[in-house]
Amino acid sequence: MSRLKQWWAERVPVDGEQLKALTNEPVPNHLKSWWFCLGGTPAYLFVVQIITGILLAFYYQAAPGAAYESVEYITNQVAFGWYIRSIHKWAATLMIAAVILHQIRVYFTGAYRRPREVNWVIGMGLLLVTLMIGFTGYCLVFEQLSFWGAQVGANIAEATPVIGGPIKHLILGGESYNERTLSRFYVMHAMILPGTLILLLVLHIALIRLHGVTEFQFGNEDPEKPQTFNFFPDHVLSELSLGLVLMVVLSALATLWPADMGLKADPLTTPDVIKPEWFFYVSFRWLKWFPLTGAVLSSGLIVFSMIVWPWIDSFLRRVTKIEEISVYIGIVATCLLIGLTVLEAVVAH
Amino acid sequence: MADEKQDQSQEESIDQPTAEQAPSSDAGRRDFIATGAMAAGLVGGYGMFGYISLRFLFPSTEGETALQFVMTTDRLKVGESAPFTAPDGSTMVIARNGEGETAEDFIALSSVCPHLGCQVHWVAKDEEFFCPCHNGAFNAKGEPTKGPPKYANQALTKFELEVVDGKLFVRVPLKSVREDERGMASRDAGQQRDNSRETRMA
Repeated sequence: MSRLKQWWAERVPVDGEQLKALTNEPVPNHLKSWWFCLGGTPAYLFVVQIITGILLAFYYQAAPGAAYESVEYITNQVAFGWYIRSIHKWAATLMIAAVILHQIRVYFTGAYRRPREVNWVIGMGLLLVTLMIGFTGYCLVFEQLSFWGAQVGANIAEATPVIGGPIKHLILGGESYNERTLSRFYVMHAMILPGTLILLLVLHIALIRLHGVTEFQFGNEDPEKPQTFNFFPDHVLSELSLGLVLMVVLSALATLWPADMGLKADPLTTPDVIKPEWFFYVSFRWLKWFPLTGAVLSSGLIVFSMIVWPWIDSFLRRVTKIEEISVYIGIVATCLLIGLTVLEAVVAH
Repeated sequence: MADEKQDQSQEESIDQPTAEQAPSSDAGRRDFIATGAMAAGLVGGYGMFGYISLRFLFPSTEGETALQFVMTTDRLKVGESAPFTAPDGSTMVIARNGEGETAEDFIALSSVCPHLGCQVHWVAKDEEFFCPCHNGAFNAKGEPTKGPPKYANQALTKFELEVVDGKLFVRVPLKSVREDERGMASRDAGQQRDNSRETRMA
């Protein structure tokens, strides 16, 4: 046994203690609160998505003549196909919800402020990539929503000044939705976007480790007690417990509300009532209110403002002398976000 | 004058390197050329590869179009209209708005909403084409009346028409995504539904 250990140590010259020292770092006490585990939640769900996504890829066929049938086959014929597909769908929903909640938490606690501005920008990249993965995902099923969603999405891209035309061409593989389009969405959904997400995630976590987790001072803390606890094993165990709970929640959701099959895409008929997934309700409503170019440019401006928010916030605080100005703006923005989402959810048109 | 002489002698000393300086200067030049050639090769090679990759993503086989016979012009009187389905499945409404025998006396309105590409349908009670995606609406002439198309003044697209010897032709795309579908049931159902849709133009 000792010879085996020696053999291994010669070839992989890192022992357990060194690994522990490398990965371990003190974690501020507030991370014991579940609310602060929202960053780990989407990362955990992303792993679930990779595993279930690989499983689904064994059967999925990315062509207009076969896509819907292959998803139907997964759902109705393959052993536990309905379960894997439902987990994939629900984990996507929860992942997007968790990313949004994580961002709201970071925003309201001001954790994006100097020197963590760059990590906020990377976080915005993660949010946008996650939304794009969600969008390309539901385009793959080749239901009515898939087809019309792709159509509308590509035309929104086209409305971007200067580069819009080539982008639409690149997304669709032609001037309009054609037999090459689905494979492009598949490549984006299963390779390009997840690859980008992994890169951004590595950068995001690296910067968190380099800066350390933002330390907050809460009024009810005992100053005599230690201010931090160990990442390993304490925080890792918290995240693992969370993972266990998430798996139970995902299984329950998948069983109670399994992913079903909508009507197959019909390029000749847009259904009388058609809506995107819930996370695009706000932009969907926005597009109804404003002319296309105005809606696209204003949406772009809002997203750009969100990306550079740490610097806007710093500027506003300097000019207005109001330290919590971001909190007031955040409350208005969150109310708008919820209000528009609810409005779109309750009306037919 | 004395200063000028001094400057001249300095320039000469720079122009004529000593025996020790020569090899290092040659080495520097060689390094520069080697680095430049390497950089140019890398940029050229990978640049070309990048260009080819990008070009690869833009397929060159664009959808072909062709003139398709619709009907003889005497079949349609002024103010009348008829639905028409192209070989690729795209639908349109063709109407006559003049007594003459030219293409300008006819109009072929696409059923694709110019806002974001959804399909409009005729709502008889409101006498309008309605787009369910973002609540756009158009009158019977295809002019925008409500929603985002109205704000941006986007009318329904008109297909190109030609009249030759009393025969009406429309220029239409030949192939669509539906050609690729193995299950033709939905297409057939769609065609039946579209053919049965009567649209009276104002």
